[in-house]
Amino acid sequence: MRKLLTQVAAVALLAGGFVGSAMAADGYTIGISNTVQGNGWREEMVCAMKAQALVSGKVDSLNIAHRNTDATGQLEDMRNLIQAGVDAIVLNPSNSDGVNAAIEEAIAAGIVVVAVDQAVSAEGAYVLSNNQEEYAYLGAKWLFEQLGGSGSVVYMRGAAGAGADNDRDTGFKRAMEEYPDIKIVHEVFTGWQQDQGKQQILDYLSTGLPVDGVWTSGIDNVIVDAFIESDVPLVPIVGADNAGFVGQLATVEGFTGAAVTNPGSIGGAGVTLALQILDGKMPESNTVLVDPSIWANNDPEGKALIAAAQNPNLDPEWPVSVQIPGWTDYSMDEIIACKGPGE
Amino acid sequence: MTRQFLRHGWTAGLLAILALLFVFTKIIQPDFGTSGLDSLSRAMLPFAFATAAMAVVVIAGGIDLSVASMMAVAGVTAAVLMDGAGDGMTAVAVVIVLLVGLTMGAINGALIVITRVPDIVVTLAMLYVWEGVALLILNGPGGSATPWLRELIVGPFIVPWLPRSLVFLAVCLVAVWVPLKRSKLGLSIYAIGSNDLAAYRSGVSVGRTRIAAYAVCGLFAAIGGLTLTMSTGNGEPIPGPYLMASVAAVVLGGVVLGGGKGALLGPIIAVIILRLVRMDLTLLSVDPNVTTIVEGTIMVVVVMFGGVLAYRGRHK
Repeated sequence: MRKLLTQVAAVALLAGGFVGSAMAADGYTIGISNTVQGNGWREEMVCAMKAQALVSGKVDSLNIAHRNTDATGQLEDMRNLIQAGVDAIVLNPSNSDGVNAAIEEAIAAGIVVVAVDQAVSAEGAYVLSNNQEEYAYLGAKWLFEQLGGSGSVVYMRGAAGAGADNDRDTGFKRAMEEYPDIKIVHEVFTGWQQDQGKQQILDYLSTGLPVDGVWTSGIDNVIVDAFIESDVPLVPIVGADNAGFVGQLATVEGFTGAAVTNPGSIGGAGVTLALQILDGKMPESNTVLVDPSIWANNDPEGKALIAAAQNPNLDPEWPVSVQIPGWTDYSMDEIIACKGPGE
Repeated sequence: MTRQFLRHGWTAGLLAILALLFVFTKIIQPDFGTSGLDSLSRAMLPFAFATAAMAVVVIAGGIDLSVASMMAVAGVTAAVLMDGAGDGMTAVAVVIVLLVGLTMGAINGALIVITRVPDIVVTLAMLYVWEGVALLILNGPGGSATPWLRELIVGPFIVPWLPRSLVFLAVCLVAVWVPLKRSKLGLSIYAIGSNDLAAYRSGVSVGRTRIAAYAVCGLFAAIGGLTLTMSTGNGEPIPGPYLMASVAAVVLGGVVLGGGKGALLGPIIAVIILRLVRMDLTLLSVDPNVTTIVEGTIMVVVVMFGGVLAYRGRHK
């Protein structure tokens, strides 16, 4: 027993020395909190955070709490980051109100808090978000126009109950109001999971019921695959700017579709904003919204953007918009390497 | 004395691990103090209630895979009922949520008893049913929690180092578990978990006891759901990661998965250990993809170590 205790104490002292040396340097320590793991978009977001922290030269270490959990789990993660004594926390919030308690505790402890991708309602937090409502509106409007204002649409949403899904639903419904003859024939939650989304569209296609167009919340390339595998004529499909889908927009014959940009690199931008605030450069407003754009493969401008965005080195689930001009400084290789300071 | 020690040996071992972990935490983060204890205590609340819920049915020889979904139903029900409700109405809302929990649990138990389909299959199906019910009540995060209720788990209680959330947890668990364990029903729950045929021949109503055990499970899940809403200030319809965590804590806490053996103290200490491990891994900046491996490995090692000790104890 004494031997065991000695060993534990030795490990503890080693760990203590490790943390102590990390704290002795004069750069910043940044905490990251994310509640979806294993999703291409979120993985790119985390890699963007790591790459930006590395190239900034101002970050000594990143403290990353990255797992599948709910708002209560995120409260736990953020409180652990506060205990770790980080200088700033960049988080992708589980929902807009649910983590306010921990955000307020962090701000009270003098920690800069930046929410990326989705907004938070806590006062004093900075928000750098993709405009999710506009994301859905742009894609849905394009799709309804392609169908001449009437037809049967399959509506493939994200995760039931997620804040971003709700915002996108608002945007989608706004477009629906402008095209009253569009009929939603099937509405499903893909959970932002490739396998689930593919199974759902295969199930629908096997019924033989009509489908004139598909709107997806970013689970896209597998939907095109399902049409091809089922030998069903392709219909207009809206997806995100994920590498796999953007590849299909350029190469699949007879396929009309559009990608709406939703950069996962917003995570890197969040790190930049946090560092600016830590250095005393305050932004004009607490909220910065990044508006999406749409790349359709049936108009010349969109076609050119799609051609320029082709990148076989990217994971098919990763968004091709790996950089945000003015906000991120890393190279393509650096984000793909996915290495943060000290790694 | 020796028998007493052997009986509580597992819990004592867990307490020793917990004490070592606290020392380790203090070494890697010298600033760890009252705020750290408060964070830890608040983080463990939903896990602790999910674990208590699971422990009761496991002791009764069953398992409930719908614990996290029932927590989601309770959480969104609480958030919807409390939205705009006054202080008085909040108390009514809490009672309704607890009744909803009892009812959900009783439905699970009744289905198992009536259909004679195994617990694991029925509760797996009910996992989806309760998940759908939660989404019907609230299709996205929403509702709210009354401030006085939220205050119940914020800050210290009398002395700075004692978090209110820990007192809240202890009061709720003791209020339900102690009278239950000392009652005829409590004894029957252990009896059917140990050997349901022997229990039946001793005059225990196996079916009714099973339904009651699941109802208590539903009650704990409802309190767990309530703590989710109290923590976040709104209701979330998507179930959190409480199912597997509760099974892990129950096993780590010394409850035998076959039923009939164990109590609540061990699993609750196991919950604190697992949350503290999570905190330490964050403090140490361990790669997030490695943390789950570390957590799983700790569980396997501790349970195996316990198994070896139990085996050696039996063969001495």
